Amino acid sequence: MKVLKWLLCIVVVAWAGQYLLALMVPNLMMETIYTFGASENDYNQLVVAPVPDETSRSVVRPSPDLLYASCIYNLKGGPLSIEAPVPARYWSMQFYQMNTDNYASVTNQRGEKNRAGSRVNITLISQQDNPADYEGEVIQSPTERGIVLLRVSAIGDRTEQQAALEASSCSSI
Amino acid sequence: MLKLGIKLLSAAVLTVLLSVVLLGRNISQGLGDMSIQNGDWSTSLATGSKDAGAMLKATVALGGLLASSAENSIYYRLRSVGGEPLRLNCSYRIEGNDYEANWWSITAYGWDNYLIPNAEKRYSFNNENLVRNIDGSWVITVAATKQAGNWLPVGPAGAPAWRNMGDYDYDLLLRLYTPGDAYLTTPQSAALPTVIREACQ
Repeated sequence: MKVLKWLLCIVVVAWAGQYLLALMVPNLMMETIYTFGASENDYNQLVVAPVPDETSRSVVRPSPDLLYASCIYNLKGGPLSIEAPVPARYWSMQFYQMNTDNYASVTNQRGEKNRAGSRVNITLISQQDNPADYEGEVIQSPTERGIVLLRVSAIGDRTEQQAALEASSCSSI
Repeated sequence: MLKLGIKLLSAAVLTVLLSVVLLGRNISQGLGDMSIQNGDWSTSLATGSKDAGAMLKATVALGGLLASSAENSIYYRLRSVGGEPLRLNCSYRIEGNDYEANWWSITAYGWDNYLIPNAEKRYSFNNENLVRNIDGSWVITVAATKQAGNWLPVGPAGAPAWRNMGDYDYDLLLRLYTPGDAYLTTPQSAALPTVIREACQ
């Protein structure tokens, strides 16, 4: 009877425990990318990735129909300026916090179609900064660290999209 | 006292191990109960969103990290046809047309969630690089051996086979970029390609 009570307790706590573990998984995965990224490149700089193929194994499910550039950021040293020319074909700049939430997005799609041909200039600030202190487009990161990911369509002639990524930047102000 | 200590430690270790097994089981089922089913395809509108639950976030973190929110791109995954997991010894026929989206692609991923090594270096088809029929419709054949027309090659995943805990060899991912309203409001019935299992060896 005692053993059964123990086993029942273990099963109940383990059942609840899987949800606690699930809460930790996204942060663990992002920390892995953050640490791996830091060993390859510095923080707060934009890195243009090669066209994904079978050797692309740093992030799961890369799309071979997209070109990517990423900026692993740390706002401890102050705000960042993220600049990018916007090509005519599909383009997006997505902001992820350390629990994987996609907390902000800038695109040339839907209501933002008019961005094509323009140059986006985002000031990325932390929770300690006051958005009113900055001019232009300001995005406030919920966490001090995170990842900005630029995606552009790689279908058809990709010359313009590749050039747009290479002319983009992510740097401390 | 020592006996009780050993008992508590053993119980704690067992609890953690069981938690890991339960979590692994939940995640290996993919989106499972959290998904919206549309034929053999499954999706979730909460992918990438801050509204996603803990289990969905964990599943996406392991199998689709840095996914976009649905308004930007919606992902439909297919890993079985009629309940039968996708196998390397079978060939599959995908039939489709155009879809209400800025553009779309269909990609094959190994069970390890990475692109499948193949001599053709072909991992996907998109709405622009398909050979189409006169009426605009198209057919893709997914198979390990060379096929005529739009052949999407598959083969063993890049990771060692002993690590495969799932019941499928690979899966297909349909990405619809800037999807139309039908995908955002009625993803369970919006138009999608049809996948048919053909010959198995």
